[in-house]
Amino acid sequence: MRVVHEGEGSAPSGDLDAAWEDPQTFAYLPRKSGGQGDWVARTLELVPEPLRRDHFALLSSGSTGEPKLVFGSRDRARRLARVLHDAQESEPVRRTVGLLPLTYSYAFVNQWLWAKEHGREFLQTAGFSDPEAVGQVLEHADDAMICLVAGHVPLLERQLAGRVFPGILRVHFAGGRFPQERLSAVSRTFPNAAIFNNYGCVEAMPRLTLRRAEAAESAADVGRPLPGVELRRSPGGALLFRSPYAAAGFCDSAGFHAIGEEDWVPTGDCGHSGEDGRWILEGRAGEVFKRYGVKISPPLVLDSVSSAWSGEGAFYYETDSLGEMGHVLLLAPHPGKEELQAILSVLRREHPRTHWPLRIESAPALPSLPNGKFDAAAASALEGRKIEWSQRI
Amino acid sequence: MSNRDRLRELLLDVFLLDPGQFRFDLTRDEVDSWDSLGTVSLAVGIQEVFGHHLSPQEATRLASVEDIMAALRAKGVDFGDA
Repeated sequence: MRVVHEGEGSAPSGDLDAAWEDPQTFAYLPRKSGGQGDWVARTLELVPEPLRRDHFALLSSGSTGEPKLVFGSRDRARRLARVLHDAQESEPVRRTVGLLPLTYSYAFVNQWLWAKEHGREFLQTAGFSDPEAVGQVLEHADDAMICLVAGHVPLLERQLAGRVFPGILRVHFAGGRFPQERLSAVSRTFPNAAIFNNYGCVEAMPRLTLRRAEAAESAADVGRPLPGVELRRSPGGALLFRSPYAAAGFCDSAGFHAIGEEDWVPTGDCGHSGEDGRWILEGRAGEVFKRYGVKISPPLVLDSVSSAWSGEGAFYYETDSLGEMGHVLLLAPHPGKEELQAILSVLRREHPRTHWPLRIESAPALPSLPNGKFDAAAASALEGRKIEWSQRI
Repeated sequence: MSNRDRLRELLLDVFLLDPGQFRFDLTRDEVDSWDSLGTVSLAVGIQEVFGHHLSPQEATRLASVEDIMAALRAKGVDFGDA
């Protein structure tokens, strides 16, 4: 087995093409693997013989921050790329522009492998670290598809303000909460694009469900499973999947864990089935908690708030003065008085007090990680935060 | 701002009432967010706004806005109704 690193400059995918053609299993890692290179090298020694050929491995930090090396089957990934092509109505798409690191399973399968399987052009960029270069590539990309995370939307609005990219035909979102309330901004930027909410996890390698943006009003609605994929809710509320495209196994600090074809695998989220075979997320399994005996899903609270608030919102956790865990809602930008009143009205109308945030704070912008996701650790220490409302508890 | 206005603002904030919903004759039964946690928040709010401590027993006995005003009057808060 070998380790291949993401490249830079004129060869951003590194030796990925050559590695894919070589039957030997390879691990595809970021150019800077955060000091985890030695752990990966040791971990690869643990992998059983059947996974030493015709597979690939991607590094994930997961929700715990612990490194996890997830092994995908090349054959399964190819089949998923073909399923996605049909489900996402991608036939008119001639090329895809990469804005996320290719070491993300989402970009790896939805874009790089999809392009390879269907003979389409793949254009990798340095992402929003160089917004002007992104803007130029998007302007010249006709009949193109892109994959974003919700955190990219404010970056588009700030760094490419007023720019319009009519050549983009498909915009996919994954990797976190779907930006349902920001769809008008996405549509203004990509006026000819069909917008999709993709849902999955790295163990699914990576997709499980799909829906068109306009097919639901709630960000928590992730649509129906892809053909062949099954979802179910555990008695405790965890959302589990079984998929013919799933990863074959993973390594973590406890060693190697095989994922059998009949295994039900945790997605890491809580969720339940909704109408017409759709699935509704309740939040990350680690985010759903009990407060004074009442189960709370902050993402669903945020979903309610978004009916009265068109800006951004995210939450972080804190303990109240009585020692119970709660959440703090951080809005960006600062809301007006009437907007705040509308948000408070929604909270009172739709949620018991235990669901209310400990505080509502605001800032000019939400802090984000390099991958565009919300940086909860930075939020609790963010300078310039304003307390808009507090529960006094 | 008068003490009546300060109390009104506090109750709007603690119970997330819309301004149009507020009345000085509101009772606890009419405010669904006036639950046990709401009572704790109310006591903290009274301390912050009026500088008077309510014991847990005092706070849980409050069953209306009029009760709150009576409890505060007993601690010397003037609501201008003399």
